[in-house]
Amino acid sequence: MIRCENLHVTFNHGLPTEKLALRGVDLTIPSGEFVTVIGSNGAGKSTLLNTIAGDIESTRGKILFADRDVTHLPATGRTKDIARVFQDPLAGTCGNLTVEENMALAYGRGKRGSLSFALNDNLRKIFKEQLSRLNLGLENRLSAEMGLLSGGQRQSVSLLMSALQPSSILLLDEHTAALDPKTAALIMDITSQIIKEKQLTVMMVTHSMRQALDHGSRTIMLHEGKIIFDLSGDKRAGYDVKDLLQLFAQARNDGEELDDDKLLLGE
Amino acid sequence: MSLFAFLGTLEIGFIYGLVAMGVYLTFRILDFPDLTVDGSFTLGAAVTATLIVLGYNPYLSTLLGTLAAASAGIVTAWLNLRFNILHLLASILTMTALYTINLRVMGKPNVALIMEPTMLTPFEAFGIPAMYMKVIFVAFCAVIGGLLVAWFLNTQYGLAMRAVGSNKRMAQANGIVVNEKVYVGLALSNGLVGLAGALFAQTNGFADSTMGIGTIVVGLAAVIIGESLFATRSILVIVMSCIVGSILYRVAVSMALNADFLGFQASDLNLLTAVLVALALVFPKLRREWKAKKAKGERV
Repeated sequence: MIRCENLHVTFNHGLPTEKLALRGVDLTIPSGEFVTVIGSNGAGKSTLLNTIAGDIESTRGKILFADRDVTHLPATGRTKDIARVFQDPLAGTCGNLTVEENMALAYGRGKRGSLSFALNDNLRKIFKEQLSRLNLGLENRLSAEMGLLSGGQRQSVSLLMSALQPSSILLLDEHTAALDPKTAALIMDITSQIIKEKQLTVMMVTHSMRQALDHGSRTIMLHEGKIIFDLSGDKRAGYDVKDLLQLFAQARNDGEELDDDKLLLGE
Repeated sequence: MSLFAFLGTLEIGFIYGLVAMGVYLTFRILDFPDLTVDGSFTLGAAVTATLIVLGYNPYLSTLLGTLAAASAGIVTAWLNLRFNILHLLASILTMTALYTINLRVMGKPNVALIMEPTMLTPFEAFGIPAMYMKVIFVAFCAVIGGLLVAWFLNTQYGLAMRAVGSNKRMAQANGIVVNEKVYVGLALSNGLVGLAGALFAQTNGFADSTMGIGTIVVGLAAVIIGESLFATRSILVIVMSCIVGSILYRVAVSMALNADFLGFQASDLNLLTAVLVALALVFPKLRREWKAKKAKGERV
């Protein structure tokens, strides 16, 4: 379970460039729930995710995993609970290490690195098994350098890596946004499989309203650092992209049109 | 080249093989260009030589010299990580400070070890001529050092260090404490360089305040030569190629200095080194450009 209580994040505090990125976010995500997060550019989606992951420290408010207060725990201390996949396919893996070395790193996530060998035949077997799920032939390229793989392949491996070590929370930050539609669909497919299999609590930031409604069981929309609506259950099931837009306009209540094309486009 | 000169070349080559491994750890593994080594090479030699002269056991002295050099690496890492001083500048600051510290440690510009016991003294009883013994000893040290470094880089901890140098954000997302790896990496790197300095002082019979000048360039030259010889992903081969690169570099330099028709003097060493390293750095890029040009020409 993730709980955010009155979460505030301010960048450049006290400077002319001060930005209130999060302005009092209250959010409780029960274990096993899959929440999709939408919002226009600068709404605070990524800030929320990065704050939960510990990359950004909150200015005010609390973050709890289950009943454990992690507000002041640095990112590395939260990796026992959190697995992440980034938007940039290059960000989630080390380009000059091999596929198996990258996977070994993810396999050791949240543990202290010991002085025993990072790779062995047993691990290679596990990695091969996992890679064969992708149907990309990567199971035969364990010792290939990660940098030689395509963006889609790297993102697929990042996704597998996030599931190598048991964790309770998976944070996906627009992890299909940089991929072509076919690869994006494949990645989304494997994402759903992994989430189901491991019964993860998931937050997925996406730019596509379609994707937000098609996946998970709950959708929240952020605007100017606040949650402006929170949809779930039957109400959400009946919703379409159009309804979301309308809801957005209502929530704004100031007649301003949604100007972010990306939200409307995307598949 | 005479046999004697050749053995001397080998000896220096093996010693600087350790330097090259240290440089490989910072420049290649951690992506932290560290110039501290110019000072820590001397520091390792100065501390070791001074302690030996004071009557301490040469092995203990060498260990302490190595640790002193390692701590110099920690200072550089601290300046960079704690105060955000650019890594190059942080290392230059430490290197500059070390020049004074080395003079203070020795109390004078150089310390002679000719008549003192060294790490090699116990082996003199075997009756092997000293000039062979020295080479065998430093070769043994370099190879053992290389095996240890290669083993370390293949452990979970070492792999985490490589991840830090490759992609900090990914490392962090996988629970790796980045700063700790940088501290350990710089300590290891400078420790290796300090050990090389200590060995140099004992095989050559002196420690001198200026002996470290250019260490970084020589180390880098060895790393680059080694890399261009072996295109491999095996860490063991890469680390060992540091030793091979170091020896080849020494051979190349001594041949250039000895070839009478070239007219070089011993004092031309640093210019030769700089030119050699520049060539080694430029060559891969030029080769790529030639290839690209050729491919273009074929298409037209």
